[in-house]
Amino acid sequence: MKKRLYLELENCIGCRSCLAACTQCGGHEERNRNYVYDVNPLVNRQTMPLMCLHCENPACARSCPAQAIQIHETGAVLSALVEKCIGCQNCTIACPYGIPKFDTEQNLMYKCDLCIDRTKDGIPPMCASVCPSNTLQWLTDEEIENKKKQFNLDNGKWVTSMPYLEGETNVKVNLPGILQGITKLY
Amino acid sequence: MQRDKFFKEIENLNHPNEKLIKTHCSYCGMQCGMNLRVNIQTNKIIGVEPRYDWPVTVGKMCPKGVTAYQQTNHKDRLLKPLIREDASLKGTTEGFREASWDEAYDLIAKKFTELQTEYGKDTLSVFSGVSMTNEKCYLTGKFARVAMGTRYIDYNGRFCMSSAAGGFLRSFGVDRGSTLPWTDIHETDCLFIAGSNTAECHPTSMFRIWNVQERGGYIIVVDPRETPIARRADLHLDLQPGTDLALANGIVNQLIELGYIDEEFINNHTDGFEETKELVKEFTPEYTSMLTGIAPEKIIRAAELYGKAPNAVVMFARGVEQQHKGVDNVSGYTNMALVTGKIGRPKSGVATFTGQGNGQGGREHGQKSDLLPGYRKITNPQHVKEVCQVWGITPEEMPQPGVSAYEMFELMEEKTIRGLYLLCSNPAVSAPNQNFVRKALKTLDFMVCSDFYLSESAEFADVVLPAVTWSEDEGTVTNIEGRIIKINKAQEPVGESKPDWQIQVELAERLGRGKQFSHLKSARDVADEFRLATKGGNADYYGATWDKIEKQDGVFWPCKDENDQGTPHMFLDKKFYHPDGKAKICALPYRPPAEEPCEKYPLRLTTGRVVYHYLSGNQTRRIPFLHDMCPEPFVEVHPETAAKYNMEHEERVRLFTRRGEAIYKVKITEAIRKDTVFVPYHFGHEDSINLLTIAALDPISRMPEFKACAAQLEKVEMKKVQ
Repeated sequence: MKKRLYLELENCIGCRSCLAACTQCGGHEERNRNYVYDVNPLVNRQTMPLMCLHCENPACARSCPAQAIQIHETGAVLSALVEKCIGCQNCTIACPYGIPKFDTEQNLMYKCDLCIDRTKDGIPPMCASVCPSNTLQWLTDEEIENKKKQFNLDNGKWVTSMPYLEGETNVKVNLPGILQGITKLY
Repeated sequence: MQRDKFFKEIENLNHPNEKLIKTHCSYCGMQCGMNLRVNIQTNKIIGVEPRYDWPVTVGKMCPKGVTAYQQTNHKDRLLKPLIREDASLKGTTEGFREASWDEAYDLIAKKFTELQTEYGKDTLSVFSGVSMTNEKCYLTGKFARVAMGTRYIDYNGRFCMSSAAGGFLRSFGVDRGSTLPWTDIHETDCLFIAGSNTAECHPTSMFRIWNVQERGGYIIVVDPRETPIARRADLHLDLQPGTDLALANGIVNQLIELGYIDEEFINNHTDGFEETKELVKEFTPEYTSMLTGIAPEKIIRAAELYGKAPNAVVMFARGVEQQHKGVDNVSGYTNMALVTGKIGRPKSGVATFTGQGNGQGGREHGQKSDLLPGYRKITNPQHVKEVCQVWGITPEEMPQPGVSAYEMFELMEEKTIRGLYLLCSNPAVSAPNQNFVRKALKTLDFMVCSDFYLSESAEFADVVLPAVTWSEDEGTVTNIEGRIIKINKAQEPVGESKPDWQIQVELAERLGRGKQFSHLKSARDVADEFRLATKGGNADYYGATWDKIEKQDGVFWPCKDENDQGTPHMFLDKKFYHPDGKAKICALPYRPPAEEPCEKYPLRLTTGRVVYHYLSGNQTRRIPFLHDMCPEPFVEVHPETAAKYNMEHEERVRLFTRRGEAIYKVKITEAIRKDTVFVPYHFGHEDSINLLTIAALDPISRMPEFKACAAQLEKVEMKKVQ
């Protein structure tokens, strides 16, 4: 059954376990490929992860003059192929979320490949495996549908990809506010 | 029962040429399940893989857990024993030379014997810790009493769990840190969490805690800081540090006033209600507000939310326990569960977030100055007799009770104690009032330190013994829930390092006590003797065999025999462990912190953890990812307070108390009270906040008041800093 990365931003506690775990995926050369931001550090402790959303029509791949960024059959937008990447950094500019990172020494772009060694066989990516707060989850489409029903936001929206910055995405993101629609037990 | 809705069947990724060793994390009481990845050619640990099938944490890990494996083959590992002849270099890393085990053992045996011949048996001391297996904790207690023959043994649980232990013993007659399994937590209706920065200190509890709110339940958080969990809580009670008991009394008063008490439960299963009712009358919302700084309506609301909840769990941690009334705070908050009868059934109860990996098991089996295995008392002749039978000594040989961890430093300073065997702890960072503690360590005639890195405390030693990390030995630990679990060995010890149980057996032989130790040739041998030594005690582990632990995903104590599956929920029969079977509702007069702010020291200083570091930081500060995320301490200051002192974000300032001073970078945040500053305690030498903290001890638990003292801030000239 196809599973997707699903983000519930409300849950993030800023532990950056996802970044630590990213370095532990065998294919990641011990470099983390995503971000966790302090939203307003002088005011409160709100944090949020910024993960590659694995766009269905990704700007990074479209902007690549060397076809170095491949899209896997699972929908994962892969890191640049070492033999094809020319180090032009178009992708880092094109991505509206600022995901691709650049290694100046190797003259090579690298980005989240959704732990393709794992996810191609249905094993959750490292970040979603370890996330202690369930900010990052690895869910079936049915489970994501249930999430939509569970969380009725008063603005009628619940994913950041609506309106899209860059078309439909494989990763689904739940905006902060999941508790708005909850009926209290007592 | 154990496989709840968070459990998913997931197969692990197996890399070629690797095997996975199932085990648990080396750090906090959560003891998250993990697999260590081991290269089958080199037989070295090379990484980590989630352990999806561990029912408590289902693969989740915090950043410390993810990188824990990097400790084992770290470049800083001690590979051989070290000896230093030049005592003038104590307190530095200088002057050590490598030695053989034989030379080190001979020297230790010679010095220990000389000191005891001249000054008596009790001139030696043992300071240990609970970040190690039950087997090691057990044997350390036996080693001190039987091989060294000294009364002076105590451990770092005095800086961690001893107030929870004292409070639970008084309220329930038994000290199991959680009365219910963690797999109940997300199913309760209200969590009352006091003095726990859960998101940073026990992060893998968070998916269960958030789920309470998703289900429509409530989270109430008590903390002077708006921690990540407080930020999303339904109610944040932002109290002044050190005023928990007033709040607990205030809430109990409201529970009574608003009619949320369970009279039947109180009458049948508790003592002390009337006296307590009388005492808390004074703690009206207004009076409680005056003492704690929390708005009166928030106090009433907390009582309503907790009182109305069909099921609720009261939870707390070091925030309430590391005070000179920590035991009273624990019993005070426990009163909430007892007056409402929300205990002794699934989804309701009381729990403390155990700080160290084996904070629970390590405090039960004889490392504490007055305890013997199975939570037996060294002052009880029958208990002593039972243990002596297992140990093969006579009751006359059993030493008297000693003193608490901090008090041992006082005895060192006055030369009552002249020798120290330190293991599994780093008091030169973690003890309060560091200027005094470091002086006491320097005063020692002879000190042995066993560790796997050269810790700040090892810098005071004459002999340093290279111990193994958790991944190079096996044994059991007892996690936050009271569940006994198995740690497995993933690789051979690096260099010449040895497990502490082996070091103690070999040293005991040198000290002429081979008869009581030589039969212990493996961790399993120690385990078997240990289980026997607990048999019949309150903390009975006899039935918790390693096989049963593997088969059942852990065993909750008490577990008395082969057929006993253990006790996930305590008190289901409403029987408590006091002789009359009743729990104690405690009437607890309020006391303010030992040191209140004044004109000269107008701020309240409180200390705690960050998510990237563990305890004294001796382990985590060496891990690149964790170091990068938090390389140095800081002082958290509210913007209005910073403005008053004309201080800017990231400016270096001097923070000082009556005991010491340090320079810290200012971190401005609105997420802290204006009258309070916070510094994390994971850093050593001149960065240690414990240079400033106060050694005001709880009268029962002897826990120092790390969480509240009076301090002052001052701008510094940049030249002075450099």
